[in-house]
Amino acid sequence: MFQNSGLSLDQAPPISVVLRFFLAGSLWGIAAGAWLLLQGPSALNPAAPQGLILTHLLTLGVMLSFMLGALFQMLPVLAGIALKDPVTLAIRSQWPILFGTLLLLCAFGSGSAVLYFLAALLLGMGLLPVAWRMLQRLYRLRDHSASSRGMGFALYNLLLLVLLGFWMVALLGGWTFRGDLLALRQVHLGLGLLGWIALLIVSVSFQVIEMFYVTPPYPKSYARCLPSLVTGLLTLEFVAVLNLPAMQPWIESLAALLVGIHALLTLRRLSQRQRPLADATVWFWRIGMGTLATAMLLWIVGDFTTLSIAWSETLYTLYAAFALSVVFAMAYKIVPFLTWFHLNAQGYFNAPMMHEVIHPRYAIRHLSIHLTTLFTALFAAWTTPELWHLTGALLLFSFAWIALAIYRAWHRYLEVQASGEKFEFPSMT
Amino acid sequence: MIRRSLDARGMEHPEPLEKAIAILRELDEESYLYMLHRKEPLPLLALAREHRLNHLSRCDATGVWHIIITPNTSVDLAQLLETESVPA
Repeated sequence: MFQNSGLSLDQAPPISVVLRFFLAGSLWGIAAGAWLLLQGPSALNPAAPQGLILTHLLTLGVMLSFMLGALFQMLPVLAGIALKDPVTLAIRSQWPILFGTLLLLCAFGSGSAVLYFLAALLLGMGLLPVAWRMLQRLYRLRDHSASSRGMGFALYNLLLLVLLGFWMVALLGGWTFRGDLLALRQVHLGLGLLGWIALLIVSVSFQVIEMFYVTPPYPKSYARCLPSLVTGLLTLEFVAVLNLPAMQPWIESLAALLVGIHALLTLRRLSQRQRPLADATVWFWRIGMGTLATAMLLWIVGDFTTLSIAWSETLYTLYAAFALSVVFAMAYKIVPFLTWFHLNAQGYFNAPMMHEVIHPRYAIRHLSIHLTTLFTALFAAWTTPELWHLTGALLLFSFAWIALAIYRAWHRYLEVQASGEKFEFPSMT
Repeated sequence: MIRRSLDARGMEHPEPLEKAIAILRELDEESYLYMLHRKEPLPLLALAREHRLNHLSRCDATGVWHIIITPNTSVDLAQLLETESVPA
């Protein structure tokens, strides 16, 4: 149990820190949708520049933005860690990441060594200080919850991922010839998709699922051990790839299996909710965990066989569906809550209720858009590749939908602050 | 003193905080919030501290948290908590 003072105005970052990352993530998502709309099936080819661009729009653009925004918020709430000057830290990370990502995408397209170098420099400047600072603070924590421990492992994997990314960029840019790019790519995938994205979501879920949805808790020793096991396996995979390549698929499959088990356990937890009625966020979590479990199964199969194009695209789609489902689930909880909480805590009479910030029906409509996107993508993988263009359009629409919700919440927040009518909490005399 | 009760044990986040803040805004010297929760409501207690509200929280043997918050400084919250019974 954490012994922090929880979410107080002193510890929580200003709402602008979180919303700036969430809005940026949404805009990156619009860009990803637009790219898929334009490129169609060639954007699903992992070896092609178009495929690399789409993957990094989703991972470096969308997921990194949402996850950094969530970390700025979750570290005080789940770990009792208040980052000093979060606004400056956020700005100093977001702008280099933005330009570094853009340059990296251009580098993928052009193959320019200079662009690779500049991209690596900026991404390093943006990512390394903030990840290191967060990891340091977590490392110094005396009493960890399962979530805080897991966040630490996820950040450790992010740092490894970034360093590995530098190595790959050096290979692509021609500054070194040491290293097998394909092997490194496999480790990069594992670290990024399992060690960073999945593991951070898993770690946060240990507390958030129970807190948000009144479910039984996860088993304590399971929650304590899972992040370290996954991280240990991925680190071992890195070593195996360099020294014992035959072991790599076995090690990676074990990591995928553990993540898949957590997905199934979370689905079980969600079925044990006390409340019979489910809002959109519950369904987003259910879709996320269902697609994650299936994706992990496919991942394990893919470690020992060569997946056909259709199966590979299915795996890609399912993993993306998992990540985006959880992002949307969390955004529809966090954005209304922060807007309401900060305005209330500042004492504004006309602070909107949470359902007035983002109406539950709005989230349900987004759920429909999201499901339509998912099924269109799966259909595209198995029938008409030209449907990838439609998938792109739907993805663009999906992110525009959430971008609008976030923008409106921010606008409402500023409006209420400008109106200036405050109440006083009755205080001790 | 007038008790304003809130049983948040089965409520999903952030409903407990939402309802508690609504009650806190209406409290006076003669009233208090008595809340039951399955977790210690740290954000609410932090808010109470920030606004200098008298508050106390205790966990019973069944793991249920009992929370009392009031603007009244003269009342003995520990004694008040002892006299509270768990609502059905």
